[in-house]
Amino acid sequence: MIQHFPVAAVMLLFLAAFLVEIFGSKNAVVRNVIALEAATISAVLIFALVKPILIDGQVISYWMGNWAPVSGYAIGIGYEIDALNLFFALLVCATFWLSCVYSIAYMKNDRHLGHYYTLFLMLSGSVLGLVLTGDVFNMFVMIEIMTFASVALTAFRNDSDFALEAGFKYLVIGSIGSSMTLAGVALLYGQCHTLNMAQISAILAGRMTPTSIMALGLIIAGFGVKSYIVPFHTPAADAYTTAPTSISMVFSGMVNKAGVYGMIRMVYVVFRAMDKSSVQMLLVLFGAATMFIGVTMALTQHDFKRLLAFHSISQIGYVITAIGLGSALGLTGGLFHAMNHTLFKGLLFLTAGAVLYATGTTNLDKVGGLSKKMPVTAACFLVGAFSISGLPPFNGFASKWMVYQALYTRAMESGNFVYALVTVVALIVSVMTLASFIKVTQSAFFGQCPAELKDTKEVPFSMQLPMIIMAVLCVAAGIFYKAVDKFLLNPAVNASFNVTKYVDSMIGEGTAAAAGLENILVNPVEFSFWNPLVWLVLFVIVFAAIALVILYGNFARGKVLEPDTANDAKYATFFSGEQEEFSQVAGSDLFWGFKKDWKGYYKVLVGLHNGNVNDYSTMAIIAAAVIVLCMFIFMR
Amino acid sequence: MFNILWSLFYVLIFPGALFTVAVGLLLAGIDRKVVARMQHRIGPPIRQPLYDFLKLIGKETIIPKAANKLAFLGAPFVGFVSLALIMLFIPIFGFTAFSTSADMIVILYLITIPGVALIVGGSSSGSPYAGIGISREMVTMMAYELPFVLVLLTVAKKAGGVSLAFSMDAIANWQAANGSMLFQWAMIPAAIAMLLVIPAEVGTQPFDVAEAETEICEGPLVEYSGAPLGLFKLNSAMKMFVMSALFVSLFLGGIRTGFILIDAIIFVVLCIIVTVLCMSTIHAISARLKIEHLFKFYWTFVAGLAMASLILVWCGL
Amino acid sequence: MLKELLNKSSMKSPWIYHINSGSCNGCDIELVAVLTPRYDAERFGFKLTGTPRHADIVVVSGPITSQSKERLVRTLAQVPEPKCVVSLGSCPKSGNVFKGSYSVEAPLDNYVHVDVSVAGCTPKPEAIMEGLYKAAQILQEKREAMNK
Repeated sequence: MIQHFPVAAVMLLFLAAFLVEIFGSKNAVVRNVIALEAATISAVLIFALVKPILIDGQVISYWMGNWAPVSGYAIGIGYEIDALNLFFALLVCATFWLSCVYSIAYMKNDRHLGHYYTLFLMLSGSVLGLVLTGDVFNMFVMIEIMTFASVALTAFRNDSDFALEAGFKYLVIGSIGSSMTLAGVALLYGQCHTLNMAQISAILAGRMTPTSIMALGLIIAGFGVKSYIVPFHTPAADAYTTAPTSISMVFSGMVNKAGVYGMIRMVYVVFRAMDKSSVQMLLVLFGAATMFIGVTMALTQHDFKRLLAFHSISQIGYVITAIGLGSALGLTGGLFHAMNHTLFKGLLFLTAGAVLYATGTTNLDKVGGLSKKMPVTAACFLVGAFSISGLPPFNGFASKWMVYQALYTRAMESGNFVYALVTVVALIVSVMTLASFIKVTQSAFFGQCPAELKDTKEVPFSMQLPMIIMAVLCVAAGIFYKAVDKFLLNPAVNASFNVTKYVDSMIGEGTAAAAGLENILVNPVEFSFWNPLVWLVLFVIVFAAIALVILYGNFARGKVLEPDTANDAKYATFFSGEQEEFSQVAGSDLFWGFKKDWKGYYKVLVGLHNGNVNDYSTMAIIAAAVIVLCMFIFMR
Repeated sequence: MFNILWSLFYVLIFPGALFTVAVGLLLAGIDRKVVARMQHRIGPPIRQPLYDFLKLIGKETIIPKAANKLAFLGAPFVGFVSLALIMLFIPIFGFTAFSTSADMIVILYLITIPGVALIVGGSSSGSPYAGIGISREMVTMMAYELPFVLVLLTVAKKAGGVSLAFSMDAIANWQAANGSMLFQWAMIPAAIAMLLVIPAEVGTQPFDVAEAETEICEGPLVEYSGAPLGLFKLNSAMKMFVMSALFVSLFLGGIRTGFILIDAIIFVVLCIIVTVLCMSTIHAISARLKIEHLFKFYWTFVAGLAMASLILVWCGL
Repeated sequence: MLKELLNKSSMKSPWIYHINSGSCNGCDIELVAVLTPRYDAERFGFKLTGTPRHADIVVVSGPITSQSKERLVRTLAQVPEPKCVVSLGSCPKSGNVFKGSYSVEAPLDNYVHVDVSVAGCTPKPEAIMEGLYKAAQILQEKREAMNK
């Protein structure tokens, strides 16, 4: 029974996509019910797999149409779910369910909502299919559906020419990525005469030929495009900005992660190439470039969503760096950060959407003082901002801690100075992330409220709910990091290092042993940053501090005064004695000294992001060529 | 139960909140006194910061109209809690409150929290002066973060932690075995860089661009009055202690008498020396920098020193 | 005991905010002279702050020109209690040589209760010191009165 769940979850979403188009294009209630039902049921089906796979450690395999392998060769399309798949599938489900809830209120003023939900469900189904499938060509098909659904959703608000432009960029660069994946898959098929991942893994074990090296290079480049690592990141900023915010969240929460998943699955499981120091170095360097360029571009943005888009790129850099290390700690950190990125970046996009919904703009120079009008949104935003900046005790801290530890441990073990420099970059990127979120905090939520936004209201509850859920998850994942590691990350890490079970349950017992695949058991990470006792103690301090304040209140009558009358000069903002007036330090005004000292760097960097699709394609092709060349030169 | 009582003692009294507050106020007082003496003044009494704090508590707290009340009042407490926590992670020679949890990355991030609290509090007050102040505070933070990180990596590499890279315990043990870090000549540039990071982190004279009282009316603190202001002042005094304590445990460790009380006294004396050396002296002899000069100074000169040390250590020296 | 300590400390750490309401700069320079090594007001805990929100003692110099009056009153309102107002020099007290001018609105007493007046054109730093010290004592009295 349970082996039908994954395929049913995927099918349900695709089916609902067509049902929405047929029955729901006119009627909003029908449309919402179908979309929400499909998303909920499919999420429940996936969550039902948690017990058998993550806790009991099973691997579920499923052959479509019952086309089981014939004399040891896989001929049908197979779905195979181990802990790694399921980890990403859970992220995907959580994302599209929350996004679906959010969409209902957020999108209600748009036109053509039938198309919107069709595309949304297609996108969800394809990403879910991508992470669940055990067949490389099926994976490619899902990538294609994902890309085209994404393109259409990017350009969904097609009354602005900017959206069309973004859609076009996405189309071109996305297609380049898909073609590279396709070429890689074709080479792989030529080499191994099969498309089943488990079988390819068994065939390629320890026998890398030039053809398979070429395929590996192309596939890394292809998934690099899907996860938007630098220099394939160029369409991402536009796409995230112009797509409806519920979709931006989906992009960063699962489309991005699909690329990361593909990378891990291919490099760790199918090719088992992570023990090669050249592959490690390549991924780490690309990751470092991604996080640094992403964050520095984000620092100069003054559009809320565009800033978040560049941060999405930057955070994926952390993930790629961490998984590129090829160590257990690195992969755990990478997966944890991928999960946290889904949580906090989704949350931040939702708050950006709430700001857009309430004020009609995401331009940071035109908003301000929203924390008094939208307290829930502001609180959720702060949680997200602190999480992404990695402040303890939020979840970003735990995962970044692991990434730094993994990086510097590797640097000390290997004596390679490059890893030490990457550690420095990672640590600096973190403070720059903080800086750019301080910018949003100051210019959107704090500061003074412009006159035209005086009547801003908090968003409806159905939009608040996903934000609150994600904020709670952010805090919970930061505090209960040990449980997260034990129940989610460690099984996934073990699954990516130990392919025997994956291969055996798909192709048949003994295949892995015959191919010479071995198991390496990975223990849960030993967290040494603090122990649970500190938590208790932290709360005690907080209470002590509060008690102290109450005492002060009694002893000293240090009164806390609040503004009672509107025009009392006592409560006016201090303007050197002048009458209080509107004066907001907006997003573009901040960080003067930094901007001045980095002028030269930004001239070059902004010059590279010139919006010309020809240039972007050239960059993508060159980068792909470099990856393939590196593979050939250093792989031996 | 006994365990919990002990950890309460650690957190609230030694080396947590009370100890940090006391030594922090002491250091702030000594700093003011020494600066005054260097300028040929008599200077305030050493207990002056305590008077300032108590006075501020007795004053009214005005919340301006444009401010977000919760963030405005909550920010200083967050800073206070995180500063009190940091001292639990910094080893006082052989002694750490939570021995399994001594870790550099935690310290690095906890130290940014008071800065973030100041920024959020200032930002929530709605004043444009505070807006400019937080912008400068953030740039200062970015400026000193690079040399700070490089110094931490250098020390971590030198001490060569066994399983996990950034253990403060490993550093303390290494120094107990091999003598203080400062006496390794390859570490001297890093020590100088760290000495220059401390005043920027604390925000004393040449690097107090964020709180420049003569040009932007105390920056982020412009709208604060009464008890929250007092807590912010207390935070900066505690920061003085925490940063100098970090310097002492990174570079001057290795003294172990075995008696925790004597150890703590030596530790505090060393902290006073560090404070006088890197905060008071520089304060007395220099005027405030511009923000862009500050950034350039840290990313070229100070980071260069730290980087030189890192490369030397990496070459096995 | 804590109460006593609090009361005492309000005298020990008076922070000054200085408002120039059209002064000729003579008094301002003398106020700064009080903080120099020669007189060193910091030994009593005096400190110059940059914003009225931090201030305990507001020092007003100058004859209150019409332009500055409104701003002066607004800034004085923004100082948290307990606070003291010190008028520095003869100008804020009487208008001094500017008295009768169409653009001068001295004395200061018309707008706010002045606790200490330091006379002179310009007052000597010693006199300013004494005035400020008196203001600090008045500050403590006000603090005690607040507790009752």
